[in-house]
Amino acid sequence: MPQVLVPTVCPYCGAGCGFFIAVEKERATGIEYMPEHPASEGSLCSKGNAALEILYHPDRIRTPLKRHGDGWAKITWEEALDLVAKGLGGPLKKYGPNSIGFFASSKCTNEENYLIEKLARVLGSKNVDGCARLCHAPSVVGLNRTLGAAGMTNPIRDLANSKCIFVIGSNLAENHPILSRWIHRAKDSGAVVIVADPRMTHTAWMADVFLQLKPGTDVALLNGMIHVIIKEGLIDREYIAKWTRGYEDLEQAVIDYTPEKVAGITGILAGDIIRAARSYAISPASVILYSMGITQHSTGTDNVQAIANLALICGHLGREGTGVMPLRGQNNVQGACDMGALADFYPGYRKADDPETIEYFKAAWGVDSVPLGRGLTATEMIDKAGVGAIKAMYIVGEDPANSDPCSQNVRAALDNLEFLVVQDIFITATAQLADVILPAAAWAEKEGTYTSTERRVQWSAKAIEPPGSARSDLDIICDIARRLGAQFNYPDAASVLAEINRVVPQYGGITRERLDDFGLIWPCPNPEHPGTPILHTQGFKFSEGRATIVPVSYKPAAEDSSWDYPFILTTGRVAVHHNAGSMTRRSPSLLEREPDLFVEINTFDALRLKVADGDEVTVTTPRGETVAYARITDRLKKGVAFMPFHFPGTNILTSEVRDPEAMIPEFKVSACKITRRD
Amino acid sequence: MPVYVDISRCIGCRSCEVACKRVHGGRGHVNVHFAGDNASVPVFCHHCEEANCTKACFTQALHKVGERTAFDVEKCTGCGLCRLACPFGVVWTDKIAHKCDLCEGRETPACVLTCPANALSLDFELASRRARTRAALAVAHGGRR
Repeated sequence: MPQVLVPTVCPYCGAGCGFFIAVEKERATGIEYMPEHPASEGSLCSKGNAALEILYHPDRIRTPLKRHGDGWAKITWEEALDLVAKGLGGPLKKYGPNSIGFFASSKCTNEENYLIEKLARVLGSKNVDGCARLCHAPSVVGLNRTLGAAGMTNPIRDLANSKCIFVIGSNLAENHPILSRWIHRAKDSGAVVIVADPRMTHTAWMADVFLQLKPGTDVALLNGMIHVIIKEGLIDREYIAKWTRGYEDLEQAVIDYTPEKVAGITGILAGDIIRAARSYAISPASVILYSMGITQHSTGTDNVQAIANLALICGHLGREGTGVMPLRGQNNVQGACDMGALADFYPGYRKADDPETIEYFKAAWGVDSVPLGRGLTATEMIDKAGVGAIKAMYIVGEDPANSDPCSQNVRAALDNLEFLVVQDIFITATAQLADVILPAAAWAEKEGTYTSTERRVQWSAKAIEPPGSARSDLDIICDIARRLGAQFNYPDAASVLAEINRVVPQYGGITRERLDDFGLIWPCPNPEHPGTPILHTQGFKFSEGRATIVPVSYKPAAEDSSWDYPFILTTGRVAVHHNAGSMTRRSPSLLEREPDLFVEINTFDALRLKVADGDEVTVTTPRGETVAYARITDRLKKGVAFMPFHFPGTNILTSEVRDPEAMIPEFKVSACKITRRD
Repeated sequence: MPVYVDISRCIGCRSCEVACKRVHGGRGHVNVHFAGDNASVPVFCHHCEEANCTKACFTQALHKVGERTAFDVEKCTGCGLCRLACPFGVVWTDKIAHKCDLCEGRETPACVLTCPANALSLDFELASRRARTRAALAVAHGGRR
């Protein structure tokens, strides 16, 4: 039988790299590169190269399972779906629709996320959310408020046109490696690269100016840069006058953020702050890239707004080589947000508390009622499950028991549910707590669209059949919906996409037929529209086309080092693992390169703690303790420690304090102590 | 036609390692080495002009074909002399010898195609050409940018 090459989209980060899966005799046998791909030019990082390893992993769930004593009993799909219908339907009738919660999945297709959103709303539940809550919820709030659109403003390859690239709170060299090719290309034509991070990452290695700030002081740094730019008259007066409102307030708000004062807060030299500010402001085209280092803070929304302010006063938006670029961590977290898998939005970012939205979706979906108002966010649902207000949950492709902060509380909360159904490809820590586990198809075993971080909607084809009796998430959701009395008659992903074309204006012209050549970038309102790679070229979608400058002031992180907990623990990723690690920790060629949880400690601190490289240490926070191997390094300043969050141990430690608006937990700053284990 | 490395571009992501291992049935020939906290460089067969491994190999299993240091698996006795002879530690003996074969049968080696940072290429001049262009641009513009 000949080899067939099936085009697909990488299932890991949000960069949206394409590659071909070589299929022989209905088995995925290899990967071939796709040099024509506009974002990746055929390159693939280590995770992409290892993507096929999870498909035939022995841990794949092959049949539906139900809890049976301490273990699991294999059951038929009929029985499983009946159990789910009873488990969700019971509380629905008894306690009302808001007693059940839904987690959509940023690993699933747009079509599947749309159906989960629709299922929750049609059943009357406001509680549908996803892991975007844990990554870019502040970007959705902050950028919608300031610029009127949440998403990368410019495509990835446009980075090559930039003359100043400012990376803050993103280790893109490890997390979105293919971006580095575009940054290097910009450097070759003379661009300056500024990196701000508490840790000297591989991204910092690319930098001309490296700003090593104390974790959680981003607003101070950004306001300090704005102060310098205003004081030195480097603002774009024409742009401010034409396209923004609220500049005067900003001028007042940053008056105290002198470089000297900011140096005291952030620990960066005043001269470096001035250098970075000048470079960013005077360049003809500057871009800001940011990621979890900005958002995962109790001041996440403020951080995002400060970034938007900086871009707006310099007029670095709406042109080639400029922009504000939130880098998304999952292959479809952008799409999941677009499809409304957020408690405060319906599909297409229509506000849930707007009566017009409700009328629109009642008509679009042909139902009598859909709920008005903001529901519980992912983090709040867990809280409410803990106190018994949420009775049943349907979790699709997410692992909150590993990925949420203070994970022991999450486990207790999920244990408290009357009924939990988890749909996944592996038995994750969350699935361990379920009453019923439904085996889902992995990305290569189903078809549908994924929206990458640059808003590119790409079609991923089905390459192989799922293992055992596993089924695509789309089919499972439709079956559950039908058993709960909703009319979900979608034979395939294309039929759902056709409905999305009608219901979500940004996706209006993104039809199945147009997606064969590397997809389209939304907004794409009609079938003739070529897509919109660069946003805000003609102003913003507020009155008079003006963006809003929202001044913010620096607030310290919720936790600081103290006598009992002398270190600040910050978390992040490494190149060979992805998120909670349920896939990469099962991928042999990735796991062998980073097999264990480690904690990076500064050389001086290690000396004081009498810890040598490779020693086992206990890291303790008020929430709990975890064991890790010490890695002695000068990447971090004194008093700061770093742990990757790909291993279950890390989120036992992290702080539950949340951003009051976006409800994102402050993963990046927790006070901790480190002791050697003897 | 060996693979050349632009060290200033390597981001230590180890994609080449994983890709090499993938296309060679689980046995990779690239190792990314880290110097200090951040500098990194992939190390693999240089395809030396005067290759010590070929001199040590008494069966001529390792031999020169043009620029390439080729390997004939049929002739290998697994003696391990090539491993000792290689000054860079990039030939291994695991029953028989294995080393970078420049992905025989593929138009371009997998590591070159997969490198996210464009650090690997088949063009000996590329790294220096990039450096010269950067310098020339800086001079022309009176500074970087």
